[in-house]
Formats: sequence, structure tokens, C-alpha cells
Amino acid sequence: MLRFFVGRLLQSIPVIFIVITATFFLVRAAPGGPFDAEKTLSPEVIERLNERYNLDAPMYEQYFDYLGHLAQGDFGPSFRYTNRTVTEMIYAGLPITFELAIYAIMIALVIGIFAGMLAAIKPNSAQDYIPMSLAMTGICMPSFLLGPLLVLVFGIWLQWLPVSGWGYSPGDKILPAITLGSTYAAYIARLTRGGMLEILSQDYIRTAKAKGLPMATIIIRHALRGGLSPVVAFLGPAIAGLLAGSFVVETIFQIPGLGRFYVQAAFNRDYTMILGTTILLSCLIVLLNMLSDLLAVWLNPRLALSNEKN
Amino acid sequence: MIDSLKEYQNLNFEQGRSLWQDAWYRLNKNKLAMLGLYVIIFFVVVSILTPWLAPYGYETQNLALGASAPSAQHWLGTDIHGRDLMTRLMYGGRISLMVGFAATAVSLVIGILWGTIAGYIGGLTDTIMMRIVDILYALPFMIFIILLMVVFGRSLLLLFLAIGLIEWLTMARIVRTQVLTLRKQEFVSAAVVTGLSHWQIIRRHIIPNVLGPVIVYITLTIPSVMLLEAFLSFLGLGIQPPQSSWGVLISGGVETMEEYPWLLVFPGLALSLTLFALNFLGDGLRDALDPRATRD
Repeated sequence: MLRFFVGRLLQSIPVIFIVITATFFLVRAAPGGPFDAEKTLSPEVIERLNERYNLDAPMYEQYFDYLGHLAQGDFGPSFRYTNRTVTEMIYAGLPITFELAIYAIMIALVIGIFAGMLAAIKPNSAQDYIPMSLAMTGICMPSFLLGPLLVLVFGIWLQWLPVSGWGYSPGDKILPAITLGSTYAAYIARLTRGGMLEILSQDYIRTAKAKGLPMATIIIRHALRGGLSPVVAFLGPAIAGLLAGSFVVETIFQIPGLGRFYVQAAFNRDYTMILGTTILLSCLIVLLNMLSDLLAVWLNPRLALSNEKN
Repeated sequence: MIDSLKEYQNLNFEQGRSLWQDAWYRLNKNKLAMLGLYVIIFFVVVSILTPWLAPYGYETQNLALGASAPSAQHWLGTDIHGRDLMTRLMYGGRISLMVGFAATAVSLVIGILWGTIAGYIGGLTDTIMMRIVDILYALPFMIFIILLMVVFGRSLLLLFLAIGLIEWLTMARIVRTQVLTLRKQEFVSAAVVTGLSHWQIIRRHIIPNVLGPVIVYITLTIPSVMLLEAFLSFLGLGIQPPQSSWGVLISGGVETMEEYPWLLVFPGLALSLTLFALNFLGDGLRDALDPRATRD
């Protein structure tokens, strides 16, 4: 098991390095400079700008320069918002995105695990079909469709909840969190059902039943740990998806988080901002993936063995 | 003598069912999956025949009419420029489905080649090839696609390639696992002994046996690709106007949903219905082709 941990850790380092390098050169390879929009700029001004942003140095020098700054947590200045650095913008946006992602994943876990367990306890009954059909609906109803529909119904027609914002008026965090969490609730419900069904057919569960333990005790004490390991393994990819999903949800609900900054930067061709956020989000995702893998192995050590065999 | 021979020929022997007949039989019993299949066939046929079926021209405007609710002339209503929504949905569906199928095809070609080579050769080649897949797997591709679209402009071809280049990873893994187990089977050893070349063995014995799981995975990849395209188009980073897709239409519908909700509801319905159909068909095919596989 220790071997698996160390191996997984070692595997993450080249991945993060590839991400940084690939992103850097992709952005630099982009056709057209970042100052193309301002056509009126004189050559001297452009030269000055290039000097300020270190764009006239050789490519490899820029790269190592960037790596050096990155190691100190400095993502460089923003190309668009000349008075702000990328680091500042990340500091402003990241906590909001995190908060949104945490609410969403909590909603997804609570609803998903509960629905999945209901389904697994009585498979092929109404108690199975109804939550699983709802889960399928959740999967087929993408956030960029569900979000606007929720706004339309609860925000505009019923006027129960605010239609946008984050922390400005009470209840304005509810709709974004539900929008972002629903798809993952659906996936988690399906994974829980699958995992629980497999565990519930094991001999040790039958033994527990034969001993006369109540169903609730069997599930909580014996089945949950093994039955949830597919869910835990899914958490890493899910959080990666949540961060990408926050692009859409933050745009719909006008939340000033990192996702919205990213989309705006993409439109403005704010290269340093894109570069910084891509690297930050990518590293986060790689780390979270690793953590969820480790957690899944800790819950179900047999996974490490099957991984080594492959 | 001749009579009895004829009688013999007319006898209905209980024929053994091939894997495919068996799978088709099982799929036929799954009503939801069959419904999904019919919905997909319907959408595909409509997309192909759109230039002939569409009630109005793609760009035909009726500015005097503006946005109108569904009516006898315009079954699904019109948008703010007075363009028929049904026509636009049909043309948009062409692109959405095309992206789904084309990007899946890209991933299919790369994934099958990669997986077959790794699994068939085995040894060090296999280890290296699958390590590469492992590393690529850990990359956050969603963000990379956005980056690609921003850096190299938003072209349809790039979108196919970018999406296809992500999705082949799982395909390669599935194919490799299958090929690895197949290689140890006796009928493959027998084929080697009879002196067939590697290519002949791969073509006649390996590929037909890998097809089952691959078909299942294709059916489940198409909806995820379509979702990805719609997601990017919604953000304005995918398909660009004047071209349209369901994602573009949904994005446009959101802007005016307060006044003209049908402009959001119908494109959303079209996309969700297709995703539903493909997912149900995929689940059904999995049960039909690989009864041992667990659902999750």
C-alpha cells in the first residue's frame, strides 16, 4: 500500500510539470500578440509594453523566468487590467469558487448517497426506479440548461429566490449550488447504488443479517465503507468537473469567482490571466485526483493490488 | 428417398444463436433502450434530410413578426429576428450530432489502434504506452480544450480534434484490457499455429471480439461529447454564429428566457431528449452485449 502511495505521488509531479510547460508554450504560440486590439499603439509603445511584460526575451528565458516567479507564487501582471496582478485576481476569485464548489459537492453527496442507498436496499422496485430515473434526468440535464430553468421558475415566475449575485441578498447562494451539484448528485447516486449492491451481496453481509442485526446497523457499520469506495474514487474527477462547471454557473448567476474570471480572460485574450488560472486549476485538479485515489485505497486496500497488477 | 430429403430440408432445426443475435434479442426486450434507439434514428434521419424537410430557410427572417409563440405556421415559434425555431433546431441538431459522431470517430480510431497495439505486443511497449495514457488521464482536459479554442480560434475542425483527443484514452484502456485477455485464449494460439500473420489475427480474431465493449462505449461517448460541445458553445467558445448548434440555441434562449421562454425550452428539450436516448441505449447495449458488466 505504501508503494502505491509513493508511486501515485511520484506520478503527479511529471503531470504538473507537463501542465505548466504545455500551457506556457501553447499560450505563447498563439497567433497574434496580446496588444493587437489596440491598433493605434505606436511601435515605441509596443516595444515598451513588450519590455515591461518581458516578451522580447528569448522563449526559453521567458519560460524559466516564469517558472522562477511561479515557484514564489507570483503569476505575473494581467495583460488587460494593467493595475492588477493575476495573483490578486486569483486571491479574489478562488475563495468564492471554492465556497460554491463545497456547497455543491455537499448537496451532491447528501442527495446522491441517500438516493443510491434507497435504490440499493430494494433493487428493481419503485424505491429503485424513481431515484434512478431522477438521476438519469440529472445526468441528461446539463447545468447550463438546469440553471436558467431554475432561475426562470424560482427567480422570475415564483420570485422565491434571487436570480443572481453571491452574498448580496439572502438565499442567493441556493440556486447556484443546486445547479452545480445536481449532475454530480446523479452520478453519485448511480455509483452508490452500484457499489452498495455489490457489497450487499457479499458473504459477510449475509453473516451480519443471519446474526439478526437490524438493516440500519448493517448498512452503517458494515456496508458503507466498502460500498462507498467507488464514490470516493469519483470525488477527484467530480471536483475537477465542478471547477469546470463553475465556469458556466458563475457566468449564469454572475458570481465573481475564478470561473467567471477565466471565461472573461478567454474572451479578452488576457494571456497571463489564462496562463495563471489554467496552471492553478490544473494543479488543484491533479492534487485532488491524487487525494481521492489515496482515500479510495485507504477505504478499500484491494484496489492498490489490482492497480499494481495492471 | 427424394421426398424424405425434402422433408429433412424443411425441418426447422433449432439453430444456435450467435452472440450478435443473442444481444439483439436481449436489447429488443429492453423497452427503454429500444425507445432510445428509435429516437436516435429519428433525429439522425431528420438531420440528414433537414435541407428538404425544414419548413423555412435557415436565414429566412420575418422581422415584422419578431419573436412569436408556437403557432400553426411556426410550430415551435420564432426567435427575435422572426426566424422559424424548428428550422433552426433542425440545422443546429445537424451540427450537434455531427460533432458527437465525428469526435467519437476520432477517439475511436486512435483508441482502438493504441489499445490493440499495446495489448497485442505487450511487454515493455505496453507498459510505456499505458503509462502515457495514465499521465494524460490526469490532465484536466476541459480547461485545455478551452485554452485550445481561445488560442487557435474557434473552428469546428479543431473542436472535433480536441474533443476526440480526450476521449480516446478510455477507449484505449478498454480495448487493451480486452486484447490482453483475448491473446491468452486458445483460439488465438491456434491461429498463430496455423501460420496467420499478425495483421490477419488482429483483423479476424481480435477486432470482432473487441467490438462489443467498444460499441457500448461509443454509445456512451457520443452523449458526453455532445454535452461538451454544448457546454463550450454555451460559453461562446464552441460553435460560432452564423453556424448553430443546440448549445448555441440554448445560450441564445437564456438571454431572452424571461420574455420568450420557448426559445430556451425547445432547444433544451431537443438536447436532453437526445442525451436521454443515447444513455438509455448505451445502458441497454451494455446489458445486452456484456451481461457480466455491472452498471454504475
